[in-house]
Amino acid sequence: MSDGLVKILDGNTFVVSDSRGDIEASLTDPTGLFSFDTRFLSQWVLTVNGQRLTPLSTDDLQYFETRFFLVPGTGTVYVDSKLSVIRRRAVGNGFREELQILNHDEKPVDLTVRIDAGSDFADLFEVKDALKKKGTYSARVTDGRLVLGYQRETFTRATDISATAPARVDKRGLTFKIRIEPQGEWSTNLDVVTAVIGSGGKHERPTFARPRGRQNMETNLKRWLDQAPTLECDWDSLRETYRRSLVDLAALRFSPPVMGYRSLPAAGLPWFMTMFGRDSILTSLQALPFTPELAATTLRALGDWQGTVVDDFRDEDPGRILHEMRYGELPAFEERPHSPYYGSADATPLFVVLLDEYERWTGDRRIVRELEYEARAALNWIDEYADLMGNGYISYERRNVKTGLENQCWKDSWDSISYRDGRLAGFPRATCELQGYAYDAKMRAARLAREVWKDPEFASQLEKQAADLKRRFNRDFWIADREYFALALDSDGKQVDVLSSNIGHLLWSGIVEKPKAKAIARHLLGPRLFSGWGVRTLGTAEGRYNPIGYHVGTVWPFDNSFIAWGLRRYGFKEEAARIAAGILEAADFFDGRLPEAFGGYERTLTRYPVQYPTACSPQAWSTGAPLLLLRTMLGLEPVGDLLVVDPALPVGIGHVALLDIPGRWGRVDAFGRGRLSAGEKKALRQSQEAMPV
Amino acid sequence: MTGGTTTDATAEFFGALAERGHVPMLEWAKGTVRFELADGKRVDRWHLVVDKGDLAVSRRNARAECTFRTDKALFERIAKGEANATAAVLRGAVIIDGDMELLVQLQKLFPGPPAKRGRGASGRRRT
Repeated sequence: MSDGLVKILDGNTFVVSDSRGDIEASLTDPTGLFSFDTRFLSQWVLTVNGQRLTPLSTDDLQYFETRFFLVPGTGTVYVDSKLSVIRRRAVGNGFREELQILNHDEKPVDLTVRIDAGSDFADLFEVKDALKKKGTYSARVTDGRLVLGYQRETFTRATDISATAPARVDKRGLTFKIRIEPQGEWSTNLDVVTAVIGSGGKHERPTFARPRGRQNMETNLKRWLDQAPTLECDWDSLRETYRRSLVDLAALRFSPPVMGYRSLPAAGLPWFMTMFGRDSILTSLQALPFTPELAATTLRALGDWQGTVVDDFRDEDPGRILHEMRYGELPAFEERPHSPYYGSADATPLFVVLLDEYERWTGDRRIVRELEYEARAALNWIDEYADLMGNGYISYERRNVKTGLENQCWKDSWDSISYRDGRLAGFPRATCELQGYAYDAKMRAARLAREVWKDPEFASQLEKQAADLKRRFNRDFWIADREYFALALDSDGKQVDVLSSNIGHLLWSGIVEKPKAKAIARHLLGPRLFSGWGVRTLGTAEGRYNPIGYHVGTVWPFDNSFIAWGLRRYGFKEEAARIAAGILEAADFFDGRLPEAFGGYERTLTRYPVQYPTACSPQAWSTGAPLLLLRTMLGLEPVGDLLVVDPALPVGIGHVALLDIPGRWGRVDAFGRGRLSAGEKKALRQSQEAMPV
Repeated sequence: MTGGTTTDATAEFFGALAERGHVPMLEWAKGTVRFELADGKRVDRWHLVVDKGDLAVSRRNARAECTFRTDKALFERIAKGEANATAAVLRGAVIIDGDMELLVQLQKLFPGPPAKRGRGASGRRRT
C-alpha cells in the first residue's frame, strides 16, 4: 500500500498494521484492530529475544487475509538470520494470527517470543479528532487468557487474547519460551476476539457481530466473482480495473446488524465501513447491472431506519433517509449524533430513484410494494420538510449546529458552495442537483404508483408536480448569458453562479429542458470543466478553483460516472464515451483502483492523474465508477422486459463484451464494437493491443 | 390492563399503541417484542405484537422473537421521548436478544424528543 500500512477487513472489523504486522497506535495514529467503530487493539508488537523484526515481504492474500515474512533484527544492514518468522493473519470477529518460526540452523535454538498487547478502546471519531476518554481501563489474566477491558457506565468493550501453544500470560502480553530443533519449526495460533460484556457480566460477542470463517470467506468471494457478469475486451487495463472493482466491492460489503447476512456497500475502507445513505445508494445504482442484490439490501436497511420524528440533534424528520450510522462510544453517549444521523438532503430523493431503477432492472415488485409506505414518506419529506425557504426547492441548513453537517449535499466540505468571486453562500442552500434528484424521484415514483401501487391519481399528481418543478427550475437556476445552471440558490433565492460539475447530474436526472442540454454538454466537455481525464468539480475560471481543492477543482470518478450516464440520457454518446475513456485510462495509473478524487490539472500538463491524498481506499463509489462507465459505454438500458444495448465505445477500443448480465430478462450478453472516435487516440495506453497507434 | 401503576409514561406509551391499532408503516412487519423492564427486584413485562401493521399489547407471558431489556427508569424516559432508544442500545443500557430487524422496525414507534420552543412539529425553519 502506498502509505506503508497493511489493511485487512471483514465487514466493519479491520486491522491496520505496519509492514511487519505490528500495531503501535497513539490516539491520533490510525493503526489498530477496529470493530464497530471501536479500536480493540492499539498495541500488538512481536519480538524475538527482545528484538523487533524486519519485513522481507508482505502478501495480501485476500482482502481479509495477509501474510508477513520476517527475520529477527532491525537496522539498515541486512541480517543474515538463521530464523524465519511468518505471521499469517485473517480477520473475522477480531482476528486469528498463525505465528510460525523456522530454524534454518544446524543447531537447536532457544527463543523468547513475546507479544505485547494493549488497547485504548478509542472511538473512531476520537482517532480522527484526538479526543480524551472518559471511562476506565482494566487488564486481567484468566484461564491463560489476557482480557483487556474498558468501561464507561453500561458501555463495555473487551478484547480477549489467547494462544494455542503454552504461554506465560501477563497483563501486558504473552511470552513463549521455546526451543526449536535444527531445521525445525514452532507455531502457535493467536486469537484476538472483540467482545462486549453483557448485563450478566459474561462475555459475549458484540450483539451485532457475526463470525465468518476464513474458508467461508474465500468461498463467498469466489461465488461473488462467479455471479458477476464476465467482461471480455481488447483493453487489458479495463479487464484489470473491472476485476479490481468487483473484488473491492466485495471487500466493501457491510452487513448492518439488522440485515442478517445480506449486505450493502459501505462508503470506504477503513474509516467509513458503515451504512451511509448517499454513498450506499449511489454505489448500489452504479453496481445494479452487476450485483443487483446490493441495491435490495440498501433499500431495506435504509427503509428500516427511515426517520419518523423531528429530532434536531440528529437532524431527523419524518420520511428522511439517514446519512450515517455509527456504533461507537461517542454516538452511544450522544456526544455525536450518528445513532443514526440524518443530515443529508439528497439521500431521501435518491432512495426513491434507486427503488425505481432497481425494479426496472430486476422486476422485483415485491420490494416496491413492501417499501410503498417508505417511498411515499420520502416523497412527502421533499415537499413538507425539505423546502426550508418555502420556494418549492429542497434546501438544507443543519439544526444540530454543534456536531451536525454544514453541507448536506455530496460536496460536503466547507468551501464547496461559492459564488464566482469566491464568497460563500449563506444558509439554507438549495444546490441544483438536489432539485434534479427531486424531479427524478417524482417521475419515477409516478411510474411505480401507476404500475405497482395502482394509484393513478397519485401518479398524475406526481407528474404534475414534477413538470412544474422542471419549468420553475429551468427558469430560476438558468444563467442565461453563460448558458449553464447555477450551482445553487442562496438564502435570498439568488443564484450561486459558479460553473460546476453538478450540472452533469442534472442531465442524469432529466430535469434539463432539451434545448438547454447542448450547452450543458458543451460546458462539461469544455476547457474549464474537462481536464482531459474527467470533469472537474469546479470550473477553472471560478474564484475558488484549485486543482487540488477537495470539491473545488479535483476530478471525482464517481461524479464523472453519473455525468456520463446523464450525457447518454440526452443522446450525447460521444461525449459520454470521452469521459469514460478519460476516467478508465486514469484507473490504469492506479492499478485499477480509482481514488476518491484526483487533481484537476490539465492532462497535457501532468501526463498522469495526480492523486488527492485521502484516508480511504478503496472508496465505494469510486469502485463503482468503472461499473457505471461500462454501462454507459455499452448503452445498457432496461426497456420493459428487455435489455437494450446501444454501444458507443471510446476510440481505440475494438470490442467490449459483457456476458451474463443479470436482470428481469434472466441473463443476457451485451456486445459493443468500436465505431466512435472519442478521446485522444495518442493518449491511449499501449496496453490496447487491438488498435495500433 | 392489570398490575403495576397505570399512570406512568410506560403504561401510557403501551396504552396509546394498543389504541392505535393499525400502523401503515409496519404493514410488512410481523412478530413479538418482549419488553422486560427492571424496577428494583420486580420486572415489568410488556409484549408488543405486530401482525401486518396491526398492533396489540399484552402483559401476559408469550413467545417473542426479540427481547428488549432495560430498567424501568430509562424506559420511562424513552417512552416520553427524552431518551433515544438506539443510543441506549449502543451504550449497553438496553440489551437486545433476538431479531434485530424487528426491533429496528418497531423503534419507529418511539416518540421523538419533546418539541423545543420556537420550532414547530414540521421541522421547517422559522423566519
